[in-house]
Amino acid sequence: MSTMDPAVTAMHEVAGNDATPTPTPDASAAAALETEVDGKPLDVSTESAEERRARFERDAMQYVDQLYSAAMRMARNPSDAEDLVQEAYTKAFSAFHQYKPGTNLKAWLYRILTNTYINLYRKRQREPLQSNSDTIEDWQLARAESHTSSGLRSAEAEALDHLPDSDVKRALQSIPEEFRLAVYFADVEGFAYKEISDIMNTPIGTVMSRLHRGRKMLRDMLADYAAERGFRAATESTSAADSNKQENRK
Amino acid sequence: MSDCQGLGDCDDARMQRIYEYLDGALTHKDIAEIKDHLDSCPECLEQYDLECVIRVMVKRSCTEAAPENLKNSILDRIHSIRTVEA
Repeated sequence: MSTMDPAVTAMHEVAGNDATPTPTPDASAAAALETEVDGKPLDVSTESAEERRARFERDAMQYVDQLYSAAMRMARNPSDAEDLVQEAYTKAFSAFHQYKPGTNLKAWLYRILTNTYINLYRKRQREPLQSNSDTIEDWQLARAESHTSSGLRSAEAEALDHLPDSDVKRALQSIPEEFRLAVYFADVEGFAYKEISDIMNTPIGTVMSRLHRGRKMLRDMLADYAAERGFRAATESTSAADSNKQENRK
Repeated sequence: MSDCQGLGDCDDARMQRIYEYLDGALTHKDIAEIKDHLDSCPECLEQYDLECVIRVMVKRSCTEAAPENLKNSILDRIHSIRTVEA
């Protein structure tokens, strides 16, 4: 993994309350709004509990849908995802005095959601943690490696595009958690590497390698689903061994 | 295996560059380079296209609205916390 260009790193120094933020234009517009209350500059130190609650409702509640979508990638069913989001928001509200207005609120909320999931919720899950199993990971990586890049043609991209949403969710759900969440944060939420690194509390290099491996796994899964559904690309040449593998999987 | 050397000498390095490009993690100079390369290398362009398709699919499939009552439940809890603190 190559070290990121310092300029690029600086570009992504957005998340985190202790870092000096260099927000993107959108973020800075949101940040400007966050640092005002009724057109006046916000002073957190003199803010009353009631004012802080109103500010939390104004600034943080707009992300409920997004956090719920992310929670669905963690908890795997609607009821648990709801509990998770509710718990995360409760924690966020209790810690809101620690949040520095004008920094990246969305990333801050995602970090709390992820921590809530890891620290509290996941311990209660009865099912074993697939992400902690090296065996599964190696197996899935081996499968990902078995596809050379030339195995997926543009026509295959077309074939993938016909997959129903349920297959895409199933594919994402089937890759190990830390890869799945990294891919979700990057591809759905559009978080930068530095932001994902803050949210998941891992070095940027780890984020990049999780993304790389996670995307390969996802792509491989989707190609398999497309083949199972008969959306095989017309121009794709498939080896006999590959066909056998598809048959055996059924 | 690819003959393309434009984005690194193995598929992994090549994909990594494509990911970084899509992730907005490249410098202006690198972006110009990869754009030039994609214009002239059908194989890398195919990989790039496929990644774009997958991203759109994931985004489309994994964006769910929270249940109606969730927002209210959160607000109820927040208000009960405030009452305790006050």
